[in-house]
Amino acid sequence: MKTRGLLWLAIGIAVLVALPLVVKSSFAIDIFIRILLFSFIGVAWNLMGGYAKQLSLGHAAYFGLGAYTSTILQVDFGISPWIGMVAGGVVAMLASLPIGWLCFRLRGPYFTIATIATAQALMLIFLKFRDLAWGAEGTTIPNLGNAPLMMQFDTKAAYYYVALALLALGLVITYLIERSWMGYYLVAIGEDEDAAEAIGVNAPKIKRHIYLISSFLTALAGTFYTQYIYFIDPATAFSFSISIALLQSWLGGSIGGVQLTVYSLILMAVILWRPTGLIGVATEAWQRYVTSKPVRA
Amino acid sequence: MWETVAQAVINGLLIGGIYALVSIGVTLIFGVVKIVNFAQGEFVMIGMYISFFLANQFGIDPLVSLLVSMPVLFVIGVLIQHFLIRRVLGPNDMPQIFLTFALSLLLLNLALMLFSANYRTVHTSYSDEAIHIGELYIPVAKLIAFVVAMALSGALWVFLHTTDLGKAMRAAAQNRDVATLMGINPNRVFCVALGIALALAGAAGSLLMPFYSAYPFVGQVFVLMAFVAVVLGTLGNVIGALIASLMMGVAESLGIQYIGADSGLIVVFAMLLLTLAFKPTGLGGGRAR
Repeated sequence: MKTRGLLWLAIGIAVLVALPLVVKSSFAIDIFIRILLFSFIGVAWNLMGGYAKQLSLGHAAYFGLGAYTSTILQVDFGISPWIGMVAGGVVAMLASLPIGWLCFRLRGPYFTIATIATAQALMLIFLKFRDLAWGAEGTTIPNLGNAPLMMQFDTKAAYYYVALALLALGLVITYLIERSWMGYYLVAIGEDEDAAEAIGVNAPKIKRHIYLISSFLTALAGTFYTQYIYFIDPATAFSFSISIALLQSWLGGSIGGVQLTVYSLILMAVILWRPTGLIGVATEAWQRYVTSKPVRA
Repeated sequence: MWETVAQAVINGLLIGGIYALVSIGVTLIFGVVKIVNFAQGEFVMIGMYISFFLANQFGIDPLVSLLVSMPVLFVIGVLIQHFLIRRVLGPNDMPQIFLTFALSLLLLNLALMLFSANYRTVHTSYSDEAIHIGELYIPVAKLIAFVVAMALSGALWVFLHTTDLGKAMRAAAQNRDVATLMGINPNRVFCVALGIALALAGAAGSLLMPFYSAYPFVGQVFVLMAFVAVVLGTLGNVIGALIASLMMGVAESLGIQYIGADSGLIVVFAMLLLTLAFKPTGLGGGRAR
């Protein structure tokens, strides 16, 4: 069974790696890049929202901080976005400390509202300080042609592999966390925070730690996205729809290029009829029709 | 000097009345049904479009179309509770947050599809009128909106405290299980709560129409303010939401006056973050979950 699982994993990886060699349409590759990117953000968000059930709608804050840190370093100081990406992640981690301190004292809807407010407040700050970050008009990233060291490539396939690598990183980190004591603590918090605390889980500390990791990963996505679209402004970098996209990719896997109306209809249908999400439906179907295991009620 | 301050305070109070209608709706739903309605702003938007189309097609004054937008949204609220929210009520609050969120996205994007992103305005005879008191300037449309908003809030308070249904709602808000044991039908109470909350949002939309543009994203402005107000005024506390909304209107207006036109919201968010840091239960007392 174990070897079979590994076999499927190997096939999956091979397909993903070979995809740009087969698909030549740059529109299709663009869609795949977005799918990979939003899957990656979804994976980062899932550490918080999925395992510990902390419904943050403010992850755009870290996406934006990552994007701005690398862009400021690149445009003003000529530092490569590869370094800026890590720097952005560190900035996001530092920012997550006070934000986490503030938000994790709250639970449920209070927490969600507080996270929205922090992302919005950051957007306003970046709109306000024009000297620091170009204000509302934003800026374009200087186009250097094919400069891999500056995270700029002349083929979409290269961006595809970067996005794929990010997703792989996110999945490996998730896998490691899930298998560690931390993963069990997180699930315990997600199931029932009070009960978890009663058996000795230091819930605020665990939540702060996972928030650090989650915000670091989200910031990496911010840098990549800015490099990919060559443009940054507060409305894109801190957009509410980034936070929402996280939810969507988490719930249903992302579907690039479809109208948001369809998204939200699917989202509502999934919530009403299958609160476990599309993966839950797939698992159920798999168990029912393929492995014919009894389905858990 | 004092005139500038007074003018800013007046502007803030007048717009605060509209914020109050939206946030009272959010806080009522939270208090009674225990869910956060992220779609509340979109119902303001629907109220605005109802008034816009009635004014545009039939020449009906936005203040009169209040009589249409409020009942329509009341019915929408009842339907949403009965067919959507009822299905996700339970100990886990994730599906509830997702549901109202998805609803917000759906309405927003439907509006974009149907009405396009254009700004729509209604011009009324009193849109440009203003009352001058000494140096102070009070726009008539905003004054009417404020007065009607306060009247509706007052009517809600009377409803909650004097009628059987209102008392049943407050009982369900305090303890759903005990209220059910006392013979209160929770779904019926929830339907009415949703209906009233959405009717208030619709009223806010109609009242805004004489001096504000309708566009699909307009709800986002108000819902953010409403969230801040309900947290500031303690989630579930109607009077708290009302007072907090007025305070925020004033804070925003003073921020615009003294820091810069783009900074009104910064003051508001600073207020929110300070409240969360030092008194997370809000100014209305009570305890956070």
